[in-house]
Amino acid sequence: MADKGSDPVALWQKMIGEMEKGFNAFASQAMSSPEFSKAMNQAGGATAGAQKQFGEFMEKYLLGMNLPSRAQMIGMAERLQNIENQLNEIKAMLQQMNAGNSPPGYAGAPRPPRTKRPPSAQPASGEQK
Amino acid sequence: MNAPAGLDLADIPERIQAEVQRAIQRSIKGVEYFSTSGPTLGSTPKDILHSRGTMNLYHYRALADEVYRVPVLIVMATTNRGYILDMVPGQSFIEFLLKRGYDVYMLDWTAPRPEEKSLRMEDYVLDFIPDCVRRVRDDSGEPDVSVIGYCFGGVLSLLYGSIFNDGPMKNLICFTTPIDFRELKLFSNFSDRRYFDVDRLVDSVGNVPPEMILSSFEMLRPASRTVSQIQLWENIWNDEFVKSYRMFDRWATDTLPLAGEYFRAITKDLMWDNKLFNDSMTVGGHKAQLADITVPILHAVAEHDHIVPYEAAKHLIAKIGSQDKEEVMLKGGHVSLVAGANAIKRLWPKLDSWLGGRSI
Repeated sequence: MADKGSDPVALWQKMIGEMEKGFNAFASQAMSSPEFSKAMNQAGGATAGAQKQFGEFMEKYLLGMNLPSRAQMIGMAERLQNIENQLNEIKAMLQQMNAGNSPPGYAGAPRPPRTKRPPSAQPASGEQK
Repeated sequence: MNAPAGLDLADIPERIQAEVQRAIQRSIKGVEYFSTSGPTLGSTPKDILHSRGTMNLYHYRALADEVYRVPVLIVMATTNRGYILDMVPGQSFIEFLLKRGYDVYMLDWTAPRPEEKSLRMEDYVLDFIPDCVRRVRDDSGEPDVSVIGYCFGGVLSLLYGSIFNDGPMKNLICFTTPIDFRELKLFSNFSDRRYFDVDRLVDSVGNVPPEMILSSFEMLRPASRTVSQIQLWENIWNDEFVKSYRMFDRWATDTLPLAGEYFRAITKDLMWDNKLFNDSMTVGGHKAQLADITVPILHAVAEHDHIVPYEAAKHLIAKIGSQDKEEVMLKGGHVSLVAGANAIKRLWPKLDSWLGGRSI
């Protein structure tokens, strides 16, 4: 079998690995500069501003089209979430009521005793660094 | 034409044949890849003990005949989903803990809804965590609770532990937890107060979108995503590689948005003023000083962590007030420290040997 030094696949993988390291190191250095931070945040700030304006425009547009607004959809989602929470609570209560019939380890079933000791009976050493 | 030095000419046909077979497998498996979903993650049986807005408290069902007296509460990072600690059977930290006899609870997060943009650091440290600790105590019937915090979940656990320092927390375990935020060099530069207008951002978008958080993580190693896709294509014939790739890729891209006010506090108090490191951090008027934590603590850090470099985490143990404290540095990166083959061999047994004796 060819050794790794001459295996074309291994060489390709090594080259990719080196390129990744080199590019990451180069990019990290470039991104450490204050100029990069300034440029990135200018672009990011503009995007956030545009996003806000677009959101407000869409809200008005949906209202004009007689479609539910974002706030109304959020309200509906919240009500659904509340219904889901109540269903979970009902499920938990049913499981507790059914405790006697549940397989071991399931909600509401008797739990294992809290008597476990570590394999080595030695007390915690409090080792410090 | 001569073969390169070291290449045995007799091996060439065999090698070509193997590569052709892999190429065929790539085509077949490539189609499979796009037509199937990945493995089911986070499937260890659990019950939702409590759910409130962005907060979920799970209790995992016991897998041992007897458990340690002290229950364990895991606090997840607010940017990521808890299933990184519960990948698939055999590669699940939760399953490992359950089988070793721990009673495990997890505080996990869902995406904060738009109306939750006003959640502050106070809500996380003075409400969500104490509420979960109280519920764990009620559910388990035990007065003590061990807390495990991963990444920023570790920061929240430290803030909680320093304020509620006479409280029920018996042991604290932090995984890759930064305290010196100046040392998160690139994040510091991205959020340079001269150029980054956090007020404008939060006032504009409400909750900070997950795409922005994911981009900032990916910018730490901008070539790595492309390279990992090349590696996927090369190894797509290998089912185990593909399974592992899909698990980690899904988790890494499943980033959560951050509540706006909470993000504002992280930026101003931690990124800009480095208050946790400088002992000037307060949450809701309560001083949060690391020296006030006196419970046993284990801090696990990763040797090749590009998200939380060691420089950002190394002062934690020195600043903690506990007598019983230990830092352990293990091979691996930010994620491979806690999940995957590396973690199974290194971190999990270490944690078990440390925590077992302190959980009785």
